[in-house]
Amino acid sequence: MKIAVLTKAIPSYESLIRIDTSSKWIDDSLVNYVVNESDAYALEEALKIKESLADDSEVVVVSMGSEDKCSKIIKDGLAKGADRAILIDSQEKISDPLSIATLISDCIKDEQFDLVFSGLQSDDLGSGQVGVLLGEKLKMSTATLAIETQIQPSAIRVKRELESGWFQWLTIPLPASISIQSGINNPRYPSLKGIMGARNKEVAKHNSNQFSNNQLQSMVELYIPSNEKQAEKIEGDSKSVASRILEILKNDLRVIQ
Amino acid sequence: MFTILEKILLITFLSSAISFFLYHLYVRLSIVFKGKGSFAFDHLLLRLKRLFDEVLLHKKVISKQRTIVGFLHLFVMYGFIFFGLITLNHFLIPFDIKLFSPSFKLNYFYFVGLPWAILCLIGILGLAYRRFFIKPKFLGEKSKTSAVVTLFIFLLMITYLYDEFHLWNSLLQYKVNWWLHSFVIGSFLFLIPKSKHMHLVLSPFNIFLKPFDNPDHAPVPIDLEASEEELDNLLLDLSRLSKNQALDIFTCVECGRCTEVCPANRGGGILNPKYHFILDLKNPMLENQDVNVVDKINVEAGWECTTCQACTEVCPVGNQVEKADEIRSFQVLSTGDVPQEYQKLLMNLQETGNTEGKNSSEILKELPEYTAEKEIVLWLGCFAKHAMDPNFVKSVRNFTKILDSASISYGVLSNEQCSGDPANKLGDKLTYQLLMDQNVEALKGVKKVVSMCPHCVVNLQKEYRKYHEINYEVKHHTQMIAELLEDNRININPGSLEKVTYHDPCNLSRTLNETEAPRKLLKASAPNYFELEEHGKETLCCGAGGALWWKKDTGEGRTHLLRAEQVIQSKTDTVVTGCNFCYGMMNQGIGPLTPSDQEKIQVKDIADIVAENLSN
Repeated sequence: MKIAVLTKAIPSYESLIRIDTSSKWIDDSLVNYVVNESDAYALEEALKIKESLADDSEVVVVSMGSEDKCSKIIKDGLAKGADRAILIDSQEKISDPLSIATLISDCIKDEQFDLVFSGLQSDDLGSGQVGVLLGEKLKMSTATLAIETQIQPSAIRVKRELESGWFQWLTIPLPASISIQSGINNPRYPSLKGIMGARNKEVAKHNSNQFSNNQLQSMVELYIPSNEKQAEKIEGDSKSVASRILEILKNDLRVIQ
Repeated sequence: MFTILEKILLITFLSSAISFFLYHLYVRLSIVFKGKGSFAFDHLLLRLKRLFDEVLLHKKVISKQRTIVGFLHLFVMYGFIFFGLITLNHFLIPFDIKLFSPSFKLNYFYFVGLPWAILCLIGILGLAYRRFFIKPKFLGEKSKTSAVVTLFIFLLMITYLYDEFHLWNSLLQYKVNWWLHSFVIGSFLFLIPKSKHMHLVLSPFNIFLKPFDNPDHAPVPIDLEASEEELDNLLLDLSRLSKNQALDIFTCVECGRCTEVCPANRGGGILNPKYHFILDLKNPMLENQDVNVVDKINVEAGWECTTCQACTEVCPVGNQVEKADEIRSFQVLSTGDVPQEYQKLLMNLQETGNTEGKNSSEILKELPEYTAEKEIVLWLGCFAKHAMDPNFVKSVRNFTKILDSASISYGVLSNEQCSGDPANKLGDKLTYQLLMDQNVEALKGVKKVVSMCPHCVVNLQKEYRKYHEINYEVKHHTQMIAELLEDNRININPGSLEKVTYHDPCNLSRTLNETEAPRKLLKASAPNYFELEEHGKETLCCGAGGALWWKKDTGEGRTHLLRAEQVIQSKTDTVVTGCNFCYGMMNQGIGPLTPSDQEKIQVKDIADIVAENLSN
């Protein structure tokens, strides 16, 4: 089984986020890039499948972005046990999911992956579409929000998280592209042997310029949402205060019906 | 009087008992000598003094809460020592060899043998009463060998007194009594090596050989350029105990004091240091005939340890109990099985050089930068630098106020990284090394460092030395302020009139051996100063040690609340401490735990209480 894991470098939660001078992107110089959280779960799921099959299965980390941002997370993936990596070196700031999926698809289509795992969504842009779009591009079956996976001969059984505590079991044929929900497993920490071994693993570099790149979306402006605090002083007798509070809870905050 | 047959029987019995004893001793010692590292014999006088204190004076056996039981044990031990000559004499009787003149024998009986026989009887019966009737929880399961030993010692003393008082009327009675006494002594040799009674033989050696540092874990230097083979050897080594640790395991007397004082155990955790860090390893060592047993330590228990070293401090036979370092290093470096919250912490350390993953620090910007002409580097540590308890920033300012008042020039290092303490304690020696190497580089040329964080001090002063040559001197701020007071560079007016108590941080008291400097300062500042019941080197951990500060609260364990509870129960007005993590834990615990009818206790650092009472 050949499994690709889409892995994105995103700004850490603790990083100071500022808008750069173009007003179209964040100021990279202040940001510490880390692996997208749900991608770490996707990688762990892939590694667990590889280990359970105990055959010549392969796990390949696929990452897109500039090399300086991605190399750290690629190394981390290889240290955890991925067999090799593909870096799609892209200096451009592409934000629309379809362009990203097209680029990745052009780049990995010859690999004939049986499975593509991606995190549910990236914690920075959060569109949650690249995995599914890539699946379509590569003519794979797709499923989103997986909270459990079971490999079957030429199919995969997936437990999908639905709303209000419901879930759905789904069996889809391989090849398949599946997005993985955070928390479905316990991602491992790279062992010393893994870290040392990662040095000799292959990282295939592709330049995004090699592929057609029609960005379908362009950023108009990026800004930090304004942060406002509001207070309302409710005066009057207890009855009118209570009815006003009820009104706020019902209509403004909608916490009661 | 004794027939040839009896003599042959005696010689056969004794030689088989002695051979049995020596064989099993040999088996154990040969395993011990397969351990890593070597036994140290440095500071011979100090070692002899420790032997004198802890064996002959029984200083650890007779500790505060265990005075009576300690004395009972002392009686039994001295009984054994003084009976050495009597035993030798006993076995020479059949061969008509007289070791003593009748008058010496009589005097020895009246002045040594008789009183110690009685004391020894009192001792063993008292200990048996405790074990079988009071049944302290930490002694563990009923011990059959203890019952046998009670019976044996009882019989020894009775047969000895029976003989000395000439209570026998016939040769047969004399001989039955003599043989019974001999049988019991010989049987001891069969009993000792395979039971906890081996401590009789090994504990003096173990106490003599015990390392001076507490804790004393071996460094794990990692060379990222190493060959595959070197790496494999390093990983294999992680599963091996040191010689000292191996000797500990055969010396253990199974008293359970380590578990009794363990904050993780007291807080409802599964960690039971007596078993998890010591006894669980004994059989695997004997089965493997080797010391490669680190993987037998319960991993979950290992993650619970606060690395407070209370277990090692209390051990009466000189064991260095805590093995969280070993099992965690093994887990992290060998298998990569690390709890998620710690993975986040370790990633933060790798990415940003601080525990919180921050890119900037307010207090760092506020303080003067260190330059070569300044006297000291003020080492902030992540806790202060990233305001992990926002109130502690005030304590940092108070410390700088004291430094200013003594006209000491200081500065902070803008490239200060985390000392690496959490990585070290979590077993991620690679991340630890990364941070340490950067810090050692940043401290090049620096002569004096002072820090308010005992965790940082332990690393900068003790741990780094295991890997690097260190030329700077490091002090904890309480030590430095105490010196300033002594040299009259600051004056303190005792103005804190409320009830004040002090919580000893584990790293400061047990690892850095400092219990006096903070007390000196407290007594100078607060006349109504009193001690908590568990204080000094017998302090109780606040619950943050061993990187547990970053452990997710699962809602069940109470380790992190025990000390705050004790402080509340002491009815103090103010609790002062010397560690930022303890400070944070006290603040977190005292708030929610204080009953509604009690005034909330103030939490202060030593720097706060001194700065509040400065008089110049």
